[in-house]
Amino acid sequence: MVDGTIAGLTGEEEGVRHVSGDRSARALLAIGALAVVLAVTALFSLTWGASDASALGLVSNWLFGATPGNEALSVRDSIIVYDIRLPRIILGVLVGAALAVSGAVMQGLFRNPLADPGLVGVSAGAGLGAVSVIVLGGTFLAPFTALLGSYALPLAAFGGGLVTTIILYNVATRQGRTSIATMLLAGIALGAMAIALTGILVYMADDRQLRDLTFWQLGSLAGATWLKIAAAGPIIVIALATTPFLAKGLNALALGEATASHLGVPVQRLKYVAIVAVSAAIGASVAVSGGIGFIGIVVPHLLRLAIGPDNRYLLPASALLGACLLLLADAVSRTIVAPAELPIGIVTAAVGGPFFLWILLRKRGVVDL
Amino acid sequence: MIEAHQVSVSIGSKRIVSNVDFTVRPGELAAIVGPNGSGKTTFLKALTGELHYSGNVSLNGRNATALKPWEAASIRAVLPQSTALSFPFTVREIVKLGVTGGRSGVPSGEADRLPERALARVDLEGFAGRFYQELSGGEQQRVQLARVLCQVWAPVLDGQPRYLFLDEPVSSLDIKHQLIIMNIARDFARRGGGVVAILHDLNLTAMFADQICVMHRGRLAASGSPQAVLTDDLIEQVFGCRLRVGALPAANMPFVLPQSAVA
Repeated sequence: MVDGTIAGLTGEEEGVRHVSGDRSARALLAIGALAVVLAVTALFSLTWGASDASALGLVSNWLFGATPGNEALSVRDSIIVYDIRLPRIILGVLVGAALAVSGAVMQGLFRNPLADPGLVGVSAGAGLGAVSVIVLGGTFLAPFTALLGSYALPLAAFGGGLVTTIILYNVATRQGRTSIATMLLAGIALGAMAIALTGILVYMADDRQLRDLTFWQLGSLAGATWLKIAAAGPIIVIALATTPFLAKGLNALALGEATASHLGVPVQRLKYVAIVAVSAAIGASVAVSGGIGFIGIVVPHLLRLAIGPDNRYLLPASALLGACLLLLADAVSRTIVAPAELPIGIVTAAVGGPFFLWILLRKRGVVDL
Repeated sequence: MIEAHQVSVSIGSKRIVSNVDFTVRPGELAAIVGPNGSGKTTFLKALTGELHYSGNVSLNGRNATALKPWEAASIRAVLPQSTALSFPFTVREIVKLGVTGGRSGVPSGEADRLPERALARVDLEGFAGRFYQELSGGEQQRVQLARVLCQVWAPVLDGQPRYLFLDEPVSSLDIKHQLIIMNIARDFARRGGGVVAILHDLNLTAMFADQICVMHRGRLAASGSPQAVLTDDLIEQVFGCRLRVGALPAANMPFVLPQSAVA
């Protein structure tokens, strides 16, 4: 249970100027710590896998040049590290950050800790866009894929996510008030529609496409390549880079749209930018890694308990913790049934589902649906 | 100066506010009173730009619809009737939103301590570290007022008067805090700002308001000084019950008026 006041907690941190009710010092400390943890996790992921390829050897080769007894870094090891593990880690960091930040922004936008792109149909809409390109890319959408090349898939997923978010927002919001019950129900309806359309496309797919689809739908970082990073990376990075500019406005939005506007926030513009950024980040993530659930709801929730809901700190901290958790989940998925691999979506759902129930139990009576 | 000219508001096909003219000069505390559903809050929302209206509203001579959100936020602050919050912000974090959202007008060195000063003014000293959601309704209302005060802390900035719009600021407060809050509002006006407040307690209104605007069925039924407006006839016409202004209850019946407060 959260303390009634946080004075007792911050008071113990020595050397930090203590202002009761001000959690910014603690938040900055947490962001610094998370950055270190992420760096360690990434290095650890680089060395851990089914093969015994020594990334440490590689790293020390970079840093100190070839040392005696270490020159003969095998070609096999360098391929495993550079072309398999490294892209997978970079993709994991990008996707984990995108999912967690999108969750935090969406929760701020809907003013509810239960809003999550995966729960309210945005991921399903993005999935529909992605599947359209996979199945129809050679025929109906050929001009689109020819024009955009490897960007076609993430952009189509972005479009699907964007349309879903805009419909969702308009259905759930009346006169500046977002009804959470309507939002969740509309999300279920939109998700079902997107999944039905996706099903039709899957039904139409040929054998080769089916294999692509299956691989993709399970949710996995296994297909990470430098090409995928080049396609999805810029979209995710740009989308995430806009979110710090939304932080102050999202804080004011916690008091309601009217009050945020009275506090000088251009609310309409804030909403548009937030919706486009979330759709882009989710679209690109879904396009490269399929449906990975619960990161977007678990990460911001944990961080709000630890450092408070101030989005200026919550958003960067979410990016770091989201990346860490996804790398850890990926490490589990790679090793738990080694030499085979468990789709990472299964790992995050297995952990995230119970966690979500725990939030509901804790919040019963506080979250008013 | 706040000037509203022929302001009308329709929601759907229903006309809620009709052709209201309204002026608040700097230094004035204007109270809007009227029965439930008479259009008070709707009119206030038109004044603050929250609802679309026909007619004209200007703040310090500038058309209100032409003000950018951040410009408007540096001229006036608005206290809504109630504010629900979905995330566990501390009281200080809420009040700080007022400092960052508006222009407090205090020297930058003092801005850090402004939330504490504002909280002390609304009698919430020591509440900075508490969670907003765990406070009582009256305490939450005072936290919001502290936030609003921080937004326009100096009643006059750069030679321009600034304004407070308060929608039922004392509705869930005990009598002590009603007096504290109304004194803060009057003080803001005395120091050169302007205040518009929707009130229900006619005694409190008579005690603090420089100008009373009575709304009835979306129209302005009367406006002017408390002495001119609060009459037996007007109260019967507007509120639909026969009351006599200034009549004392029977000798054995206790009554307590805010006017009897000893400063």
